[in-house]
Amino acid sequence: MENTSGSNDVVVDVRNVNLWYGDKQALFDVSMPVRRNSITALIGPSGCGKSTLLRSMNRMNDLVDGCRVEGTMEFHGRDIRSPDVDVNELRTRIGMIFQKPNPFPMSIRDNITYGPRIHGVTDRRELDAIVESCLRKAALYDEVRDRLGESALGLSGGQQQRLCIARALSVNPEVILMDEPTSALDPIATSRIEDLALDLRREYTVAIVTHNMQQASRISDYTGFMYMGRMVEFGQTEELFNNPSEEMTERYLTGRFG
Amino acid sequence: MTRPACLNGSASRTGTDGDSLMGGLLTVVAGTAVLAILLILVFIGGNALDALVDIGPLEFVFGTEWDPADGVYGALPVITGTVLVTAGAMAIALPLGIGCAIFISEVASPRQRNLLKPVCEVFAGIPSVVYGFFGLLVLVPFLRETFPDQLLYGSSWLAGSILLGIMALPTVISVSEDAIHAVPSSYREASLAMGASRWETTVRVVVPAALSGISAAAILGVGRAIGETMAVMMVTGNSPMIPEPLWNIFSLVTTITGTIASEMPEIVVGDLHYSSLFLLALVLMGMVLSVNLVARTIVRRAGCTAPRTHGALSGPLFRRLEGMGMVRALSEHRGTVCRVVGSALLFTAVMMFGSLVTGPVVSAFAGSVLVLVANAYSSLGRGLGSNRVQSLAHGSLALVMGLVILMLVVILGHILVNGLPALSSGFLTGDVADGGRSGGIFPAIVGTLQLIAGTVVIALPLGIASGVYLAEYSGDNTATRTIREAIDILNGTPSIVFGLFGFSFLVVTADLGYSMVAGWITLSVMVLPVVIRTTEEALGTVPRELREASRAMGATKWQTTYRVVLPAAMGGVMTGSILALGRAAGETAPIMFTAAVAFSTHMADSIMDPVMALPYHLYYLATEVPGSTEMQYGTACVLLLIVLSMFLVASAIRYRTNKKIRW
Repeated sequence: MENTSGSNDVVVDVRNVNLWYGDKQALFDVSMPVRRNSITALIGPSGCGKSTLLRSMNRMNDLVDGCRVEGTMEFHGRDIRSPDVDVNELRTRIGMIFQKPNPFPMSIRDNITYGPRIHGVTDRRELDAIVESCLRKAALYDEVRDRLGESALGLSGGQQQRLCIARALSVNPEVILMDEPTSALDPIATSRIEDLALDLRREYTVAIVTHNMQQASRISDYTGFMYMGRMVEFGQTEELFNNPSEEMTERYLTGRFG
Repeated sequence: MTRPACLNGSASRTGTDGDSLMGGLLTVVAGTAVLAILLILVFIGGNALDALVDIGPLEFVFGTEWDPADGVYGALPVITGTVLVTAGAMAIALPLGIGCAIFISEVASPRQRNLLKPVCEVFAGIPSVVYGFFGLLVLVPFLRETFPDQLLYGSSWLAGSILLGIMALPTVISVSEDAIHAVPSSYREASLAMGASRWETTVRVVVPAALSGISAAAILGVGRAIGETMAVMMVTGNSPMIPEPLWNIFSLVTTITGTIASEMPEIVVGDLHYSSLFLLALVLMGMVLSVNLVARTIVRRAGCTAPRTHGALSGPLFRRLEGMGMVRALSEHRGTVCRVVGSALLFTAVMMFGSLVTGPVVSAFAGSVLVLVANAYSSLGRGLGSNRVQSLAHGSLALVMGLVILMLVVILGHILVNGLPALSSGFLTGDVADGGRSGGIFPAIVGTLQLIAGTVVIALPLGIASGVYLAEYSGDNTATRTIREAIDILNGTPSIVFGLFGFSFLVVTADLGYSMVAGWITLSVMVLPVVIRTTEEALGTVPRELREASRAMGATKWQTTYRVVLPAAMGGVMTGSILALGRAAGETAPIMFTAAVAFSTHMADSIMDPVMALPYHLYYLATEVPGSTEMQYGTACVLLLIVLSMFLVASAIRYRTNKKIRW
């Protein structure tokens, strides 16, 4: 897994992907690059396939019965779906944040040490260091430093989601996929997650699915607009929002849609 | 960017290999458990074959005389007795149980609810033999004094039905309470928003919506009552006779379970009598199985369609009737039809049972009075406002609830008040003396603990591993479904059947003799299906998101299962397992032909020795040793305390889990 430099490098490259759930086709010939140290947003109406696309990037769709994918999906130039790719290793390098905060029913500390432990880290001090640094990166440390041993289920929704982000960071991923991470949160918690995403961009690569167009325009560098399983338009966020090349995109952005 | 070395390559690879290894291992364990379960069918069926061939199926089922001394094996009196005792039990358990369920779910405040639910579960925790003991010492003498002309001995169909009715209560209450509680609150809100009272909402919206669940509760209660052994056999008199007339509730009867348990000690292995008892067991299994299948069909159908207001009247039959215009006519005059039919039934019932006690004139008079009172009561609603009706209805339900609690208090209180004074240190640590009339019960306490411990060691790992396999690893295919069916069948199998299996397979065929190890295996096979199902269900309640979160970080399936899913489900797994073990600890039927002896001069030296056990000791003292009353109370008390403390532990775990985890 060579570390190539340059800010415009494509980390995950999706080309001409078709995807079926059983007989139902959910993605049609979708292409999209995810570039290093940037935030890539996916927008579009419900059921347009944006979450499906995101979940196929770290093969979470493998867990869905009857899911079939065709086309090219590369991570650093290697086919994500090739049989010699270890899917568990792939997922350590491409982490994921879910729509609903889903902390484990364990203490705050154990939630974060879970990942490092399953990958073989046992040294206590190293684990403590990981806990602190991940919580700091997730902007949660100051709120929970005195109750790391308490149940994660006692945190507020926004705190839980930041804990989930910290947990995802604990295995040191390169890419973080966020599947509507703020849809279950209030506006204040949402803006904290957005700030966090902007911070994370410096060290990580972020791809985010959102219902919220303002969110996409506020935080993302690139945006893809999807509709009915197709990628209608993909480009730099400013370009796409101010000067969309497709009429359908413009109608969606201005709310004259459906 | 640097990464810990462990995240690249080799570590994850071995993780994957370990994953498939664990998957394979779990498959093997689940296979073993299923094999053990299937062996039961083989052994019961195999041993029943002789009788089936020699006597013939029809002659066996419809033969009217059961007389082992003459070698005549007609099971009709035994089967009739089983059906009658069960029907009587249901006549008691259904009104009380459903009333309690409605009270707990719809009337009680949340605080009362949290108190009442565990209290009702205590009923389920009392061992069968303790119920039987209570019946023998309190209920039977009470009935004999109340009906001195009708009851020569006191042992009777009536006594069996009362006792079984009480024992079936917890099943009826908990299953129907679940069904009622599961009705979405939006239904209630919609009804209340239209100005209906809470009681009207309960009667017209909530109960109809829960009707299929309530019927399932009734049927499961029947299944529980049919399979009960010890309590019934101690109070019905064990006489294979058909009551004369058929509704003579004072008649002596016997049941399938009672016949097996009381005649097994006398048989010669391999002769026709032996085989006939296995054939009886097969008939029993058939009855329980069909009852449970009906219940499951009802529940499943309720699960996949929206709750319907027609209740039992829907489906093809309903449509056919509707075509004939009958239903419309009936439903237009529903109130009148119900009243007439109900009055007729009530009057007939009073005439039938009244004639057993007094002459026809008095019965007819009593019947008329009762019918008038009932009609007046049901028309009361029109005169009073809906608020008054509600108070009246809620009051009646509270009365039912109070009655049930009172029964519990009487049973527990009687045994504790008479038993606790007997508990001296000499009683708890001494050996049995004077044929059980004095001394202590130390060997029986140790024996029971040994039996529990062995069952824990065998059944828990096997059961939990099989549950994990079913919940997490097996796909949804024919093989898995077959396994689930097999487990469900065994889950409802009466405990006496496990006793027969243990005897024929372990004691005779495997030549283990009456031994601790035979008891372990028998009890383990009995609790295995419960542990498997509990584990599977507990794992099923763990949200999918947790698995996804773990897999999204690159954890393998086994790592996810072992570190996230199992710990999250452990509260549920432990609660269910301890409840199953508690029940096993109090069971008599499975150990009375496999491991337990009435007297033993020494502790078991090895696992090949037989043991004494509290439930069997109590049964033996109560039925065979006159003059040991104090020892009986003491034994019952110790057994009750052991089993109830296991239930208490289970409740504590559940309480803690519920408090800690809110999905």
